[in-house]
Amino acid sequence: MLAKIVIQNYRTFRRFELDFDPDLNILVGDNDAGKSTLIEAIGLALTNRIRGRLFAQELSPYMFHKDVAAEYVAAIQAGRTPPPPEIIIDLFFDSKAELAGLYGTNNLLKVDAPGIRVRAGFNPDYRDEYEAFIARPTDVRLVPTEYYRVDWLDFSSNGITARSVPATASLIDASNIQLQSGVDYYLSGIISSHLDPRERVELSRAYRSLRENFADDESIVEINEKLRGAPRDVSDRQLTLNIDVSQKASWETNIVPHLDDLPFQFVGKGEQSTLKILLALNKNVDDAHTILVEEPENHLSFPNLGKLVNKISTKCVGKQVFIATHSSYVLNKLGLEKLVLLSVNGGFRLDILPVDTRDYFRKLSGYDTLRLVLARRSILVEGPSDELVIQRAYLDRHGCLPIENGIDVINVRGLSFKRFLDVAVLLKQNHVTVVTDNDGQDAADVRARYSAYLAHGNVSVCVGEGKDYRTLEPQLLKVNDIETLNKVLGVSYGSPEELLDYMIDNKTTCALAVFDSPLPINMPEYIQDAIG
Amino acid sequence: MPSADNLAVISAAGSRKTQYIVDRVLASSSRRVLVTTYTNENLRQITERLSIGSGVLPAQVTVMGWFKFLMSQCARPYQSYVLGEAGVIRGLNFIGSKPQYAAKKNPRRYYLDSHDAVYRDAVSAIAVEANRLSQGKVIRRLSRIYDHIYIDEVQDMAGYDLDLLDALLDSPVGITMVGDPRQATYVTNNARKNTNFKGNRISSWLQQRRDRCFIQERTESYRCNQAICDFADGLYPELPRTTSMNNETTGHDGVFDIRPEQVRSYVEQYSPIILRHQKTSDTQGLAAMNIGVSKGSTFDRVLIFPTKPMIHYYHNRDPEKAGDLAKLYVAVTRAKYSATFVIP
Repeated sequence: MLAKIVIQNYRTFRRFELDFDPDLNILVGDNDAGKSTLIEAIGLALTNRIRGRLFAQELSPYMFHKDVAAEYVAAIQAGRTPPPPEIIIDLFFDSKAELAGLYGTNNLLKVDAPGIRVRAGFNPDYRDEYEAFIARPTDVRLVPTEYYRVDWLDFSSNGITARSVPATASLIDASNIQLQSGVDYYLSGIISSHLDPRERVELSRAYRSLRENFADDESIVEINEKLRGAPRDVSDRQLTLNIDVSQKASWETNIVPHLDDLPFQFVGKGEQSTLKILLALNKNVDDAHTILVEEPENHLSFPNLGKLVNKISTKCVGKQVFIATHSSYVLNKLGLEKLVLLSVNGGFRLDILPVDTRDYFRKLSGYDTLRLVLARRSILVEGPSDELVIQRAYLDRHGCLPIENGIDVINVRGLSFKRFLDVAVLLKQNHVTVVTDNDGQDAADVRARYSAYLAHGNVSVCVGEGKDYRTLEPQLLKVNDIETLNKVLGVSYGSPEELLDYMIDNKTTCALAVFDSPLPINMPEYIQDAIG
Repeated sequence: MPSADNLAVISAAGSRKTQYIVDRVLASSSRRVLVTTYTNENLRQITERLSIGSGVLPAQVTVMGWFKFLMSQCARPYQSYVLGEAGVIRGLNFIGSKPQYAAKKNPRRYYLDSHDAVYRDAVSAIAVEANRLSQGKVIRRLSRIYDHIYIDEVQDMAGYDLDLLDALLDSPVGITMVGDPRQATYVTNNARKNTNFKGNRISSWLQQRRDRCFIQERTESYRCNQAICDFADGLYPELPRTTSMNNETTGHDGVFDIRPEQVRSYVEQYSPIILRHQKTSDTQGLAAMNIGVSKGSTFDRVLIFPTKPMIHYYHNRDPEKAGDLAKLYVAVTRAKYSATFVIP
């Protein structure tokens, strides 16, 4: 199993470190936080390949962290001679006796552990050429990767081969299905690795004899006889038809998997990605097997996603799975405690979440937990009417809706604030505000119920003051005169009591009217606090 | 804790010491074993015999040249303890040698050339230093990988190699060292460390470690007849006598001399393998083999084009004036039946 990754100078990661869960890692983060890059980096270290091609062939100046590249170029142009930057990806394995040969301290952390690494660094064989190149600093605009070499090593700093890596990887990127003819490389890789060597040889042999039989077919013999006599305008050579028997035309290019007799490329994209994921999950391997899944929710309807997620959670026993996702459903179903919230320096886990809170989210998997996880600031409210009034209050104060400033107003059912706050207190960089009614109690007492969360510093609680103003509606009535509210709501009640009864009976309608009203409205103090 | 399996076999030429290693390795199939030796020729022979000619070694058995072993399993894994940085060593510089006056406080300049390749005489030094500075990580790593390490031609070890062997003798890995102190024709490095123990001094180095390592002497030669054994033993009067187990007679057995003008007819009659001191030696245009390269080989007959000191020994049997004892010893002990010198 993979225990840890350390990345240096690769794409978004200047320096990145993350410990892995032995079973499941659900990678979540903003766009650009590096979800896909992390998946790519794991695959790269395990296979020395990127998108099916050797890293050495794919290496380009744009794979370097952009600040690192810019600093290097700036230093060269300033007449200094900085060392050319190196891309390094170190993968640490769990300590196991069979891995004794992979031990060493040749990793970025310099700890004695078993592991493998890819390193793209300057090739000293090109020293003269490189010195000539940097002698004209103004020409240096990019990292000169043409003077680089890629080494695939273990932590003892000895070269490794695909055979000596003790883990295999299947990368499943459902969004990136490239089917020209036959089987794309993902699928061919998955199929080949699913077959044992004998079966693979049989497949190649059967395919070759198929090609040979083609030429012996009576009608083909006849056709070729005819073609042989064709007018020789262009060439003196004989023209015949046959199937390409050269090495490059192997079965992968011409044999197509069928689902219920439908060629694979005519099957829906959703089915295609499901099939690929399942093939990878069903694989039986002795080595540790790593499955990297990019956004399984792509191309899948909700029920199909549900089926797939169930398969992932039952079939991944004994395999290590990495999933990058934007879907709260996937996250809740597979377990919030497996979440890794990514940033460009590292990841953050929710694995210390209380057990009952994990179960709560797993059962109510429709909850948009990802919104809470991803929003820098969120405001938790008790119902749709509170949500609308808060939006209006924010618009009045800041001139735009909260979401435009990256503030997410999340409507939390019933009394599940505490479940969300269990998550929130682990996410130190996120600020969470709870907006709640006093329900006939002292505001101080209500706040006291949250004291354990308030102690964390990133949680605040705003409670309506005054026992007699139990909910949002009386609070609104408290700070606005009856004429204004009558106008805003398009009604004309004579007494505050009547108006209040109407408001309580028509909560959502009233909140919508408040949200849409062109008239100025005063907001209760606790709402003001929440949006400050 | 030293392994109870530590063993040093001091043996005479033709005592089947390489076969001894091969037999022991094949007999202990369940253990993870490394076999290492210095010369490529010996490495090839061991691989061939262990794989019974197929080139495919039994699982669990690794055969590796001494320098590859030093580089990949000893110097590289914990180089950061010596060189400060991880992954610095790029390769091996087999030709150059360590700058004599470089300061040890700049280890990168001290051990590595300008292309970050390790000087050949610095590889075992890095290994030993890395082990010392990491509190034994190099040896600990080896003991996780191997149950037993066999070292053939141990007489070729010198300098820091011996310090590494010393550390291995203290480890849980079983160590079997096999060598003939009389055949020290190569030395793995020219470092000034442990110069007392170069070449035939290996036996005293081993004797000093007999508390951690059982010493066995193999004095039977299955190759050379008694006359050849006696001639060769005379070079090392302080070492035990060799007993020949080869009693075959062919009508031309023992040590002889011929004059240069007799070479053609002698070669025609006996078809000996022709041995020379070095490439530039004059062998009358006949195809010949360097003595150093012939080590480990068995021939029916050899014809030797000797150096001046060798001729002196032939006439006077005085080892003090025999020049390179090991070369002469190796040359005569290649032969089963006859070793003949061309003497002007």
